[in-house]
Order: sequence, then C-alpha cells, then structure tokens
Amino acid sequence: MDKDEEHKLIRAAQSGDASAFEALVNMHYETMYKMAFKWCGNKTEAEDITQEACIKLACGINAFRFESAFTSWLYRLVINTAKDWYRKAGRQPSSDGLDEVQVGSKSEDQVYAREVLAEVCKLPEGEKEALLLVMGEGLSHKEAGKILGCKESTVSWRIHEARKKLGALLGKEQKYG
Amino acid sequence: MDEQNLKKILENQGVPPSDVNAKKRALNLAVAEFKAHQQEKQKSSQGMSFLSRLTFKTTQTRRDPMEQASKKKLVYGGMATAMAVVLIAGVTVSQYQNFGKKEAFDESLRLASAEITAAPGTQEASPAYIEAVKEENKSSLPTPAEPPVGQIAIPETDLDQDSLAVMQAPAVDTRWRKLQAERSSPAMAKMSSSNSVANTMGFAGGGVAASPPMFMPEPYPNPYYQEQGRDKFEEFKVNAVKQVAQEPVSTFSVDVDTASYSFVRRMINQGALPDKDAVRVEEMINYFDYNYAGPDSKAEPFKANVTVTDDPWAEGKKLVHIGIKGYDVGTEHPHSNLVFLIDVSGSMDSPDKLPLVKSSMKLLLESLKADDTVSIVVYAGAAGAVLEPTKVSDKQKIINALDSLSAGGSTAGAQGIELAYQLAEKNFNKDGVNRVILASDGDFNVGISDPEALKDFVANKRKSGIFLSVLGFGQGNLNDQTTQVLAQNGNGTAAYIDTLNEARKVLVEEASSTLFPIAKDVKIQVEFNPKAVAEYRLVGYETRHLNREDFNNDVVDAGDIGAGHTVTAIYEVTPVGGPTSVDPLRYGETKTEEHKVDANFGNELAFLKIRYKLPDEDTSKLITTPIKGDVTTPNEDVTFSTAVAGFGQLLKGGNYTGKFSYDDVVTLAQKGKGADTFGYRAEFINLVRLAKSLASSQGSVPIEQPIIGVPTPPVQPMPLPLE
Repeated sequence: MDKDEEHKLIRAAQSGDASAFEALVNMHYETMYKMAFKWCGNKTEAEDITQEACIKLACGINAFRFESAFTSWLYRLVINTAKDWYRKAGRQPSSDGLDEVQVGSKSEDQVYAREVLAEVCKLPEGEKEALLLVMGEGLSHKEAGKILGCKESTVSWRIHEARKKLGALLGKEQKYG
Repeated sequence: MDEQNLKKILENQGVPPSDVNAKKRALNLAVAEFKAHQQEKQKSSQGMSFLSRLTFKTTQTRRDPMEQASKKKLVYGGMATAMAVVLIAGVTVSQYQNFGKKEAFDESLRLASAEITAAPGTQEASPAYIEAVKEENKSSLPTPAEPPVGQIAIPETDLDQDSLAVMQAPAVDTRWRKLQAERSSPAMAKMSSSNSVANTMGFAGGGVAASPPMFMPEPYPNPYYQEQGRDKFEEFKVNAVKQVAQEPVSTFSVDVDTASYSFVRRMINQGALPDKDAVRVEEMINYFDYNYAGPDSKAEPFKANVTVTDDPWAEGKKLVHIGIKGYDVGTEHPHSNLVFLIDVSGSMDSPDKLPLVKSSMKLLLESLKADDTVSIVVYAGAAGAVLEPTKVSDKQKIINALDSLSAGGSTAGAQGIELAYQLAEKNFNKDGVNRVILASDGDFNVGISDPEALKDFVANKRKSGIFLSVLGFGQGNLNDQTTQVLAQNGNGTAAYIDTLNEARKVLVEEASSTLFPIAKDVKIQVEFNPKAVAEYRLVGYETRHLNREDFNNDVVDAGDIGAGHTVTAIYEVTPVGGPTSVDPLRYGETKTEEHKVDANFGNELAFLKIRYKLPDEDTSKLITTPIKGDVTTPNEDVTFSTAVAGFGQLLKGGNYTGKFSYDDVVTLAQKGKGADTFGYRAEFINLVRLAKSLASSQGSVPIEQPIIGVPTPPVQPMPLPLE
C-alpha cells in the first residue's frame, strides 16, 4: 500500500469519513492481530485484544499526527491495549491456547516456533515489547525506543535480557535436537 | 542462540491465521464506535454554542482548512499584526498564572489539547506558516524534538478513560482556554476565541515576542523562581509571640526533616529568594549536624542540652536553645529490609531526577550491610517490581536493576505503593528496620489517588512496623506538602535531594539516622515560669504544633528521631520586666494570683519535658530537665544554629528579627563555623551572602516572570494534517 494513499485514508478517517476508517481497519487488522498474538500467545485473547484496539482506534485516530509510520503507532496502541487488558482482567498472558492450536499440526519448525513464542509471552512486558518490535517488526533499536518512549540503550538492554532468558530454551533445543 | 531463527519465528511464523469472523466482528464494532464517536464530537461542538459564539465557525470542522484560512486570514491577519504583542504578553502571563490550576487536567487531556490547538491553527494561519508545515510533513523523518508517538496520550490510558478523554478533550479544553482568554483581556476574547490564534500569530509574527511556553521542555529551567510555580507548599503562619500568663505551655513535635534547607539552597543558587512557605526554619536548623553531648546508653535514647544566651535579634531578650542528640548506634546497624519505590513517570526524565535517584540509591547501597535486603518497585506506565528482595551482597544485580530503569510514559495509576509494602511485608524482619523509600519528583500517583486515603494507608502500615521515608527530587512539580505528610505519617524523614552531594549527606553520612529510628513520637513540651518569663516565641516548628493535651496522649503521632540525629529548638523569651511586645493591661489581670510561683524554683526559666516511645513500644516515656536562667557563652554549635535560625526568619520576612541583617547572620555563622569537616557551614555562609544580594536587588519581592530576555524556546510547531 502506498504511503500517500494510506495517509489519505487516515486523513479522511480523521475528518469523520466512516468508510475510510473501515478500509483502514480492514487493511491493518492482520498486522494488529499478529502483534497481539505475539504478545499473548493465545488466539482467542489476541482476537479480543485486537478488537479492543480497533475500538480504541475509532476514538483515538485523531491523535495520530503523522510523525511516524502509522504501523509503528498501531504497535504502540496494540501493546498498550494488551497491557491494559491484562491489567484490568488481572490475568497473566497464558500460552495455553498455543498448545491447543498446535496439536497434530504442521512441521517440526512450526512446533518449535510455537514453543519459542510461548517463552516470549512469558517475558516481562518491557523486554517483550522491545523484542517484538526489533526482532519481529524489524525496527531499529532507536525506532523501537521512540515507540516505547524509552532510550535506545534501554531497548538494547531489554533485548539483551530477553535473549538471555530465551537463550536457555534455545540452547536446550540445540542440545537435544 | 540462533538470531535468524528467532527473528523468523517472531516474524509471524508461529502466528496462526486470524479468524475471519473475529475480524468482521472487530471491524463492525470499531466502525460503530467510530460513528458514535463522530456524532458525539459533533454534539459536543454544537452544545458549546454559548462559549463559542465568538467564533466564525466551530473549530471542530476541518474539512477544508485552506478555504477557511483564506477567509479568516483577511480578518485575523490585520489584527494579528497590531495585537500580537499585547496578545502574547497577556496569554503568556495568564497561562503561567493558571498553570497550576490546570493540573486538574490529566496528561491525556493536555496532550489531546495540543492536537486541538494545532488543528484549528492551520485554518487561521498565514500562507507562510502553512508552507512551513507542509515542508515539515513532506520530510518523512520526524523532527528530533517531537515527542515519540508512543507518548501520545490516547493509547496510554485504558479504554474507558481513553474514550472519555478524547470525547471530552475538545469540549473541556477549549472551554478552559476560552475562559482564560476572556479573563485576561476582554478585547482579546473578542478577537480570538481560543489561544490557537495567539499561537499562530506568535509564529507568524516572527521574533516579535516569544510564544506562550505551554509545553516548555525541561532543559530550559527558568532562572527566576515563580510564585505561581507548580511546587506545592503548605501555607502556614509564623509562630507569634505568646504571653506566659495566658499560655504558659508550648508543645510541639520534633522534626528531623531537612528538605526545606535543600530547597531553599537550590532556589537561592538559581538566583531567587524562595517562597516564604518553602522556608521552615526548624528544618534549616536541623539540616546541620551539631556536636551536642549525646546520651550514654541506648536505654535513654537521647539527651537534651539547654543553653540560655542573649538574643542577637532583640535587645533585652534571651534565647533558650534546646539541642537534643539521639543515641548513635555507631556501626552496629540492625538488619534492614528496604524497598525503593521509584517514580519513573515521564516527568522524572531530567538529569536531576531519575539519574540522580539512581546514583543516590547506589550510594545508599554502600552504607548497607551484606545481608540487608533491597527490593525495587517502580510506578508509572510500567508499574511493577523491578527487583524482588535481594541481598546487598548481590550488589551487581541491584545495580543492574537500577540501571535498567528509564523514565517514560505517563503516570498511569498503579499499585506501586501497595506493591512496595507487599514486598516489605513479604520480607519482613522483626528485629530489623523495614522501610519503604519513596523517590519522586512529587507525582504521588502511586495507586491511591486520594491524599487522605494515602495518608491513612501509610499510617496503617506504620503500625505494622513498616516505615516510609520520602526523598524529593527535581523541581517544578515538587509536592512538598504531600511529601511532608507522607513522611510524618510513615515515621520517616522527608529529604530533598538536589545534588549528589546532598544524596551522600542524607544516605551515607546520615544513613543510620535516616534509616534506624531510636525513638518515635517524640514530643517536646516547655512550661514557662511566669515569674521569670513574660513572653516567649518558638522559632519554627509551625507545622509541628501540638495541643497541650496531646503531649500525654500516646495515640497522637509525632516526629521520630533516628540514630545520631540532632534536633534543635530555639525559643526567644522576654524576661519579666524586659521589653515585652504586648502592653500590660491597664486594668490589671485578675488572674495573676493564680499564677503565683513558689520561690523554690529559683531562677528557673522553664521546665522542659520530652516524651518519646522506643521504636517497638507503645507507651511513652518522659525525660524532664529544668531550664535555668543563667546566661552562658554559647558554644560554636549554638552560635551557628542561632545564625541559621536568624537567616530562616529573614527569609520568612523578618517580622521578629528587628534590625538583624544578612550581614549579622554571616558574622554569627562565621563565629560558629567550627571545624566544618564537610564544608556545609561554609556553604551556608556563601548562601547567606547570595541571598543578601538577591534581597537587595529584588527589594525582597520575588520577581515576576520576565517577558523579555528569558531564553524561551519557540513553541515546537505541531506537524499538522494538510490536504
């Protein structure tokens, strides 16, 4: 999707055009859902969170100021929604849903991927969000820092920490695999 | 580990495809919400007609900004040139004065308003401005000063507040702005219904005048102290002269806080005399360490040293100087279980705040023992335990945790304080010191937002043996009153830390007194002998006043004394026959007979009573000392503390110090300087000199916010959506 076209849609939505807003959400639903899934590792919860984020977007679209990519802004929205969602519900992200989905499924790679993701879900919030933005979305540490509202070095540190924690799992995998 | 592999996994490999129905449902709900929201927006702008009657069009519609711009440009353009200076001056002052009131609006509202302000701006802007903004939008790289998108308020808050904030923001905020405009100048209100016009004019008017520093960034501290600043102090009246015949007994609670001196020092070093309410004389006196004679054993936790001297402030009066020294535990510290509760909200992102907190905490680690435990809880957007209780022997882990903290995000209410107490309880040490140390710039949004409830919470926890100390950092947002109240209710000290040196003083040198209480609820009562004393006046301790009957009531809370603490109280007394400030009654006092004093008391001026409880006891003990009237030559400590008291009183307006001047303070302080190992007293003397020149240049009236000559950065123009 062309950036200008996307901006046009956003502007139209900001000035109250419902169909433009619908197109926008339609376009980005998948991105948001994936982000949410990686956050919580559970399909149902990811869908709930995405839905919540879409509703938030309806009220908050005017707050987007074209200062960064729209997707970056959406990441923040989704992450915050996810955090709030868990905080409100008093739950911890559970990767239970993962196992259900993966039963009897796909290649070895897929199973392994699910297992790693399940570990990712258990990371502390700060580390998780940094890891997802940098590793998952291919943002630079600096960009991620901007989205997360912290310093570049903090992002680097958190990723380092996250990798250390994941390292145990991945190391084990290598040993046995 | 395999980086590529992890990357691949995180790039959607493990994500199952989304459900079509779920997507549809979300889409429908979102669109419905969107429509409802749009309607709501329409309504709110229509409903405001009584306030927006002076606008040409509601500022909400921005379908065609260029068209509107061309219409309004003609009208506003001419006025802009003529009125820019007047307007901006008016707006600047009014905004500054009302800035404190705006606190009621939370972060999200404020940020949302930025959007609102910016948007209508385009409609009224000059073509040059629009060009400039266009340029900026074209370059896809965000300008460095822009706030990161993540800090936009909307996604930060939770859903309910969120929609509320967005829906109310236009209504409330424009209303507020309009009221501001109308209040500050009626002419202005007629021409501009909102400040956005002024903003734009300021920009278009080039260097005519600085735009209102609405969102002035931290790195530009204002060199002048503003009376209307956001630092909050409790207002209180200076203790007045009391007649012994009417009120023979004076009761107060000890106060070992030092926050006031650090704050005063900071203000003066920045070139402004402090707000009078920021000066608490007793805290200034108690900032310094005095070498009073201490008690010999732990059983009697402190000793009172009383000196009577001639009054340097007024002829014919005397000073009763009471110096109390707590028992010093020396190196035999009890085991301590500390929980650092650290504010990491966005406002802490300033060199003198979070980074200083970190360095201070590291310093504190140095003065702890290896088997003491430390936990860290942060509150802000990311509230939670950063560090579970960890032994100090694992120092690197604690330091790593401290280093990983960063300030960011809004202060979303979190269970910060509750969590901190939970950790303290979890690791409760019956024989040791259990303490939560709150480090903040004054934003006490720690989960319990009602100050009274917070106070009760802290007081309740105090009873379970967990105390609270408060360290204030930074400036501009400091909530001094809450700091005091919290520390007082939590049996702790409130200190204000402005430099690393101050952190060292509070956390290392005075670690034992800051951390280890030797007595709690220490109350002082002085009964004056009406035969010897006609009038008395307590210097300072205004906020610590107790009722006479509270002295023997063990339920009433009072201040605490830590190991090695010194507390100084000074009374100014007028002997009978001296120059009283109250005229004797012409018709005499009928009650004089009742006050007949037994001659056996000799030349006793007064009788000093101190009540205290040992830290783990609930019944108070009593220490009494008669105060003899013999005038002695003051030692260095007494002289110096008198100088500090004099300085404090001068800063508070000098109502009772007569001709005593800053120069006299310097003379007195130099006489009492003593060994001064750490240079605190020398620093004090310099501070007095500085205050003297400030007072003479300002005529002791704090300067108003100067409009010209302050390096006010231009307001960052908001990038605007343009068609």
